[in-house]
Amino acid sequence: MSEWMRKVLESKRATRQRLQQLSFSEKLELLEKLRERSLLIAKSPLRQRRRPDQQNG
Amino acid sequence: MKAIFEVINRMQSEEVIGRYAIGGAVGATFYLEPLATLDVGICVSLGSHPESSLVTLAPIYDYLTSRGYIADKEYLVIEGWPVQFLSPADALDEEAVKEAVETEVDGVRTWVITAEHLAAIALRTGRAKDFARILQFIESGVLDPGRFDSILRRHGLLEKLEHFEVKFLGDADQSG
Repeated sequence: MSEWMRKVLESKRATRQRLQQLSFSEKLELLEKLRERSLLIAKSPLRQRRRPDQQNG
Repeated sequence: MKAIFEVINRMQSEEVIGRYAIGGAVGATFYLEPLATLDVGICVSLGSHPESSLVTLAPIYDYLTSRGYIADKEYLVIEGWPVQFLSPADALDEEAVKEAVETEVDGVRTWVITAEHLAAIALRTGRAKDFARILQFIESGVLDPGRFDSILRRHGLLEKLEHFEVKFLGDADQSG
């Protein structure tokens, strides 16, 4: 594993631990924001499936 | 989300429901980092209908819809969130509600299914996202191994754990 990848994984682990230690109320606030983002992404035209006759190639 | 628990607590104090506990991704968020989810899963104890042994969620639907909340498929939309009420499907669910952990959300009292029961329920359910959640529980070190083992033993899930371990916790060298 490269040094760069090791740092990425360590950073990810540290962030997850930090988030895990938040209070339940704080976590739920983040969860609400995650849901808002998910709903926005789901509404995006880029996510709408095209019918076969609309697809290129 | 605090408002959801206020509504549910009101149902409890008015004896529409008995004990309840938060499950699913919201319940798991109590122990782990926040997990993206679109709904809230609530396991509730309900009395059976006096004339039959059938447990029905109708009192919850009646209570909430009469107060203006909208029913949408298997959900009731409370304060903008789809909330799914589930009555205990088996002894594991009943135990999970009974042994739920009391906590607070911005000063509002509520109950969350224990990490060990959440993991056991995920193992029983067995979808890909359930296995991913079990791995998160294991990696985060929040499970009490003795308590988890005891729950699995009590509810006949040890074989499922063995399959899970072979599939997901096998020796890394064997993964090719």
